[in-house]
Order: sequence, then C-alpha cells, then structure tokens
Amino acid sequence: MTMLQAGNGRTILRCEHLSKSYQMGEIEVKALQDTSFEIREGEFVVILGPSGSGKSTLLNIIGGMDLPTSGKVFLRDEEITAYSERELTEYRRNKVGFVFQFYNIMANLTAEENVELATEISKDPLPIGEILEAVGLADRRDHFPSQMSGGEQQRVSIARAVAKNPEILLCDEPTGALDFNTGIAILSLLHKVNREMGKTVIVITHNSDIALMADRVLRMRSGRIIDDHINENPVAVEDIKW
Amino acid sequence: MVTFRLSKIDTMLARMIGRSKGQFIAVFTIITLGIATFTAMNMTAINMKTTVETYYRENNFADLFIQTGAVPAQAAERLAGIDGVKKAMGRVTVEVPMITDDENERVNLRLVTTTGEDDELNKSTLLKGNMISGDRNEILLVEQFAKLRGIDAGDRIKIQAGGVQYTMEVAGIVANPEYIYLMENAQSIVADDTFGVGYVSEQFGRQAAGLPGSYNEIVIGYEEGADEEALIEDLEDALDVYGVKQTIKRKDQLSHSVIDLELANLETMANSIPIVFLLVAGLILMMMLSRLVKKDRIKIGILKAIGYSNRQVLLHYVKYALISGFAGGTAGAVLGMALAGGMTRLYLDFFNIPLLRIEFYYAFLAYAILLSSAFCALSGLIGARGVLKIFPADSMRTEAPKAGKRILLERIPFFWKRLSFSSKMINKNIFRNKKRTIFVLTGIAVTFAMMLFTFTMPEIMDQMMNEHFTEFQKMDYSIGFRTPVQKTAVRDMEHLIDVDYIEGKLEYPFELRNGNKKQAVSIIGLNRDTRFYTFQNTDGEIAEIPRKGMLITENLAKALDVGKGDLVLVESYIPNRDDTYIQVRDVIRQTLGMNAYMDIDAMGETLLEKNIINGVYADSKDPDINKKLIRASNVASVMSVSDIRAMYEEYMAMTFVSIGFMVVFAGILGFCIVYNATIVSLGEREMEFSSLRVLGFTKMEIFFMIVRENNIITVMGILLGIPLGYLLSDYSSAAFSTDIYSVDMSPTSKALIMAAVFTAVFVFLAQLATYRKIQKLDFLQALKNRES
Repeated sequence: MTMLQAGNGRTILRCEHLSKSYQMGEIEVKALQDTSFEIREGEFVVILGPSGSGKSTLLNIIGGMDLPTSGKVFLRDEEITAYSERELTEYRRNKVGFVFQFYNIMANLTAEENVELATEISKDPLPIGEILEAVGLADRRDHFPSQMSGGEQQRVSIARAVAKNPEILLCDEPTGALDFNTGIAILSLLHKVNREMGKTVIVITHNSDIALMADRVLRMRSGRIIDDHINENPVAVEDIKW
Repeated sequence: MVTFRLSKIDTMLARMIGRSKGQFIAVFTIITLGIATFTAMNMTAINMKTTVETYYRENNFADLFIQTGAVPAQAAERLAGIDGVKKAMGRVTVEVPMITDDENERVNLRLVTTTGEDDELNKSTLLKGNMISGDRNEILLVEQFAKLRGIDAGDRIKIQAGGVQYTMEVAGIVANPEYIYLMENAQSIVADDTFGVGYVSEQFGRQAAGLPGSYNEIVIGYEEGADEEALIEDLEDALDVYGVKQTIKRKDQLSHSVIDLELANLETMANSIPIVFLLVAGLILMMMLSRLVKKDRIKIGILKAIGYSNRQVLLHYVKYALISGFAGGTAGAVLGMALAGGMTRLYLDFFNIPLLRIEFYYAFLAYAILLSSAFCALSGLIGARGVLKIFPADSMRTEAPKAGKRILLERIPFFWKRLSFSSKMINKNIFRNKKRTIFVLTGIAVTFAMMLFTFTMPEIMDQMMNEHFTEFQKMDYSIGFRTPVQKTAVRDMEHLIDVDYIEGKLEYPFELRNGNKKQAVSIIGLNRDTRFYTFQNTDGEIAEIPRKGMLITENLAKALDVGKGDLVLVESYIPNRDDTYIQVRDVIRQTLGMNAYMDIDAMGETLLEKNIINGVYADSKDPDINKKLIRASNVASVMSVSDIRAMYEEYMAMTFVSIGFMVVFAGILGFCIVYNATIVSLGEREMEFSSLRVLGFTKMEIFFMIVRENNIITVMGILLGIPLGYLLSDYSSAAFSTDIYSVDMSPTSKALIMAAVFTAVFVFLAQLATYRKIQKLDFLQALKNRES
C-alpha cells in the first residue's frame, strides 16, 4: 500500500514543539518534551513506544482532552491549543473520535444506546444502524456490556467513536485488553474504517508488530519522538502476529 | 403523535436511580415527610386563621371586655359616644351552681345575658333548637358543655341563684366566639363537664345576679383604626365611678389567647420542622453526589471526551438531586394537602367552630414543590461541583494514592499497640474520612437531640404537676365566696364541713403596672405562716410572705420588667380608691399561673378592707363536701385540687400522640442518615474490602467492622447530642413558657437514657438494612475490574 493510496497528501494534523508536565502527588512528571510532527489526511498512523514514553499524553492533547504546557496543535488550519473551554468541547464532539484501551462504554446503556450517546450531540452523525452493521454488532444492539465479550465491547467503543463522523479517530492501545484473535479483529475493523470510510486513524501502542500495518510510524521515548518514518510496505492485518 | 424520548444521558440517570433505589427512597422519604409537614401545617394554620377571623367577624366578637361593679344601663349606653367605640354593650355575668343528681358533684354554670339581636356583640350561633323567646326561664347552652353532660335542646336543668332554685328550659344549643375554647379560668386547660356557659335573658340574668337595671360587664367593639390604649383609658375613666375590676383586651381573652397560641405554635412548627428535614436531605444529597462524582471520574472523563460540556455533565448529576426534590416535594405536597383537610377538621371540631372553611391553596402546593426542588438542586450543585474540576485526560490517569498520615490515636502507643488489626482499621477509617464521619456524627447528634427533647417533655410536665400540686400548693380544696366576709367566717366553715385544717384567703384581680408595662393578675392574700404554700425564690431559697410588700412570680416579674425591691403600681377597682405602690420583696418560682402574694391583713388594709376574706383553703377528707356546700348561698366555687390535677393529666395524655410522631420522625432521620452514609462507605471502600476478602475476612466480619465503626460514631454522636439536646430544651423552655405555664425543660436522666436507646435502635435498623447490600457485593470481582 503506497502513501498515495493511504492519504491525499494534505496535512490534517500538525504538532509544534509540544511539551507537557504534570503533578502526580508530590512528583512532577515530564510527559512530553518538545514534540513536533505532521499527519496527513487518510493516513493510518501508529505511535509506538514503551510504557511512560508519553504516547497517551500526546494522544490526549491531540484529542482535546488535555492542554500542553507549551507548544501548539493544529487540526487543518485551526489551532486547537488556543481553543476556549467551549470550543474544545465542540472539537471533541464533532472532530474527534476516541477509542480507549478498556473500552470505557457505559455499563447501564445497551450497545445501540452507547452509540446514540455520542450521536445525539453530534452535528453530522452517521446512521447508527449502519455503523453497528459495519462493526459486526447488528444483532447485539440491545445487549448491555455485561452481556458482551471484550472484543464486542471494543467494537461498541469503535462504533461510538466512528458514528460521530469525526475528522480523526484516536485509539489508545485498542487491543491492550484483548486476546490475539480479538485484537486482530479489532485492528481489521480500524483498518476498514481507515480505508473504506477514509478516516485518519492514529493508534498508540507498545506492540511493535502492530506498527507493521501502519502507513506512518512515529516512535517515542521519554516524551520525545525519536523516529518518524513512512512505512513503504504496510503488512496486511491478517499477517500480523504477536 | 408526539413521542417522548429520553436522551441517552437521561436514560443513564434513570437507570442510575433504579440501581440505587434504597438511597433514592431514603432521600425521597425525608423530603416527602418534610414537605408534607410544611404543607399540612401551613395550610391548616391558614385555614384556621381564616375560619376564626370570619367567625369573629360574622359573630361580632368584641375587642374589649371590662368587668365592673354595677353599671346602670344608661351609663353603659352612653359609652357608645366615646371616640373609637363602634358598639358598646352591657351585660350581666354571674356564676351559679347547677343542681345535678349527684349531690357531691359541683357544676358551675356561667350565666351571660343576651339580647338576641342580630348586631349584638359576641353573638351566638344557634346549632340546635331555638333562640330565647323572651321567657325568663329559658337558657341557651354552649355546645361543649351540653355534649359533655348529654343535654339537648328541650331538656330541663336546675340552677341555684341568689338562694333560689330555678328550673330552666334549654331552648337551644349554641356556639359562641367568646367560648370557642371553653375555659373556666386560666388554670383549666381541658373542658370538662363541671363548667359550662349558658345564655339567658337580661331580665333573668339581672335577677340571678342581684343587679336590677344594671350590668356588671361591658363589651366593646372598636371603630377601625381606633387607638386602643387611648380608648381603654377613656373607658376606664368613664367607668371608674362604678369600679373597674378588670379590663381584658381581645388578645388576652382566655379562649382567643389559647387559639392564638395554638395557631402560633402550629405556624412555628410548620416552618421549623421541615427545615430540619430539608437540611438533612440536602446534606445527604451533597454527600452522595460528591462521592458519586469521585467514583465516576472515568465516566465523566469519557462523557467529556465524547463531547459533553461541563454544564451537561454537571446537570446529569444535579438532575438526580432535582428529581428527588421534585418527586419528594410533589408527594409531600399532595400528602400534606390530604392531611391538611383532616387536620383542619380536627382543629375545628376540637375548638367547636361552627364554620367549616377548608380551602386548598394550590399556589401553596406549587410553592412547596418549588422550595424542595430548588433546595435539592442547590444541594446537588454543591455536591457535584467536583465535575467541573475533572479534565478528561486527568480522569484517565490513575489517581495518586491519598497522602498517608497518622491519626492522633496512633501517637498514643500505649493505647494503639493494644488494639487488634481490625480495630486499628476501624479507627483509621473514622478519623481519615473526616467529612463523612462529621456528617454521620451530626446526623446522629440531631436525631438524639430531637429524641431527648421529645422524651423530656412528658417527664417535665409530670415534674411540673408534682411540683405545683405537691410542693408549691398543698391544699385539698380552694373554696371561693361570692362576696367578701369577715375573717371569722372561717369558723363557720369549720362547722359546715369536716376539715383537718382551714385558712382564710383573699384573692382579687388587680392591674399591676410598671411604667408602660402592665399585667392583670390575681393578688392572693394569705396568712404569713400559711401551711398551704411553700414559696421558693429564683435562687432556690425559701421565701416568706412579707409583712408589707408582696412576692411576685417570675413570669410576672418578666412581664412587668421588675425585680426585688422595685415598686409596682396596683390599680384598685374600688370606686374612689387610690392606686397604691407596693414593693416587690422577692421574686418566686411558680410553674403554673401568674400571681402576686401578700400578707392577708396588709392586703385587706392596703387594697380592700380590713379583716375580710373571700375564700378559704382547706384540707378535708369530707366525702360530702360538695353536697354540704352546694346550698350555701355565698359559696361561689369549690375546686378540688386533685380534680385540677386530673384535668392536667388528661391534657398531657393528648400530647403523647404528637410525642409518638416526633419520635418516629426523628428516628427516620437518623435511619436515613446512617443508611446513606453506610452505603456511600461501601461504595468508596469496595477495593479495600476486596483486599480483606482476599486476606480471608468473611462478609460477616466485614459487616461487623462497619457496624463497629458506626457504633463508635453513634456513641460520639450521642455525646455530642447531649449539649445540643440541652440547647434545644432551653430554647423550648423560653418558647413554651406563657402566662399560664412556666416551663423549665431541663432533660432528665430517664429522658437521656430513652433518647440514647431509641437512637441506637434506629441506627441498628439502618445497619441491618445495609447488610443485604453487603451480602450482594461481589468483592472479588471488584478486584478484577477497573472502575467503569
């Protein structure tokens, strides 16, 4: 898969000299240090790094869930780091879809209701039925999370994120809590969202095998990007093994 | 067709309420009870006020009552010309014995003359039979008395007046605004069948009282905007020549003052009790929501990550409180409305008001619902404001462990080393979770204080009775004469009835003044060495009747703002008799009533006539005392002190119902507080308990840990509640003391014990209710799951 097929060349996301420090009890944590990079529209990007490398912090800032200590983030031409509280809420509502490691779906809502939770407040959502169909949960729409497997719950999480019709999809260790086969199924789904729906997908993981399917790989260590390269020959999901 | 669909965030809320039914119901119950009390009592008070005002207006209830010597009819008519007087009426009032089949029974009937005119002041409302037709031997009986004695219109009764027996036909049964509450005097609290009021023609009344062509009472209706004090002065000046015994304003009129007091108490309770309930509900909601927001950290982060604004997420939690407030307020308002009808009817029946005016003030309903909704919403806002602080990314991070600190007890190694592991954990939990501990502590203290006050009331009332009728006043009988006689009449009494001991007394009403403060009271003249009273001053020392000067009761001293050594002006009713200054020699304690006491000789000499008495006190075991005295023409009243005491005890029995309610209310409060606090504790400490399960603790052992925690807090709460209970009782002493009662509501040891026991019982019940929750919790699963 070439870069041309993966994206249309236009920059969708730009990070400039991002730094982030925060207090954890009595300790100051330097999560990000002067991080800069660009992502193109339609790319499937994997941000790789060990635990504590700053991947989640970076994703949270991109997703408008956190503010950097310094630096800027641009979605297309909009500087999201300059957004007010209300603008950030709008950004999270309409521009970004988030998929968490531990699914984080609402325990007292069904699969369909979980997706509706997001679409009710979105400006231009996708039809819920179609999305549930696309993620393979059409016949589980009335089930509660307690009645679903981990993989199914993660599909709900993906459906919820995608149904908002966001500009970018951010996935924080989406396979971290799943077994191998389920993990592969989820990655396939994310790949489908990227290729068939044209969504820019950013996945953060510590699993280097997952990076093989990416169009672009960013490697992080100690809050810095130590490598940023295009994957000339992305591997098919089914061929990934870990 | 319009379909109503809940948003998903509201669906989550509905299901959250469903999952925490127990807690929701607890809060809902408190709010419902509080609002029901608020609505029922306020609506009843409004209904009663309106009804009483209407009744007074329609029946021309007088504004002023002046008891006088004999006032000629023309003089009474001339009073209408005084500025400010709308209507002036003379009437005759005389008390006569009613002859019954039981010769030992003494029944007093107050005869009041009536003209039967439509614009008559204090007009009666005919309930049964007919008005007086002019026949001199007809009488209209007040309903309460007629009912108690089983007398109906058309029956005949016998009375004795001026030494002559009369048979009277009961023409009709009436209600009168002057006797809505039938009281013979300030000491009679409960209407009984030994005192009644009957309305007779002027002709008959004058004959019975021996007042041809005269009146002995003037009743006045004011013009609108009349200056009452100036008017009273003018009237008293005009009547001075005939002798003014007592001037009673409407506000001091016995029946009216009882109703007024009752309504005032009702209004006070209506507005104070609900506040306690709403405050407790508010605190519970604050605590619940604050804990929920902490527990839902990640959920809140996700909602914000999805794109919900701070406002929307905050509202999600505030709605929980708002729904409790609205639901509880609505249920309470409806319940209160239903109760108000019944309560109003009860009051109207009890007070014998013939009008029935029960209205439902729907605006009040809306107000009650708004009040509880707003209050709860505010509590929710305060409790859930932590939502605003949660940044989505922060919520995803693991929370830093709480800073470890030693509690105070740990610094006492002698004590700390001797505690078991579970005891150490219990103490640490109590002192580390300060907010929750303080909340439960306060709740239990309030519950205990309310119980203490409730149990103190009957104890104190009982003490009051004993004190007054055994230690203060010691006579078996108090016999009053119609007209004063020489002191030597005491010996005549000894011949008439069998007495163990007898003393003469002189008792007359006077108006006492100090500057612009005045009070009408009975001054009682006694032998200086009287055996029938023991006076104690406010320092607890024995006070003797002075040779000159007087002793006054504490409540009288307060009313006149005087103390020991001060001079008080005593206004004499005797025509052409000057008013006199008399020194207050001491201020004494008296539980019931308001009086002044003098040496009988000094009193006679200074205020009336030398060597006279108008009654006697006697100790007597004579079983036929009433029978023997009933035919004595000068004997106006025979009061058995044991009968008076029985009457008070009957009154006290009526208050036990309301005491029962108070205990239940206080108990429910305590139950809800402990229940909610325990549930919150369970939720917050799920991981902690899970770890204990892994270590090998059973569910029962964990339950007992929580029980022991709550027990320690309960004991601390009770100890804290003791001074709070004392404060509440002190406040009540002041609030409940009136001209009639002087209450010292210091809690007794029995009340302390009862309050502690009942508080402990309700706390225990609350803990039992949480046991089921503990049994259901899957502690081990909690260890596997992250919070979601």
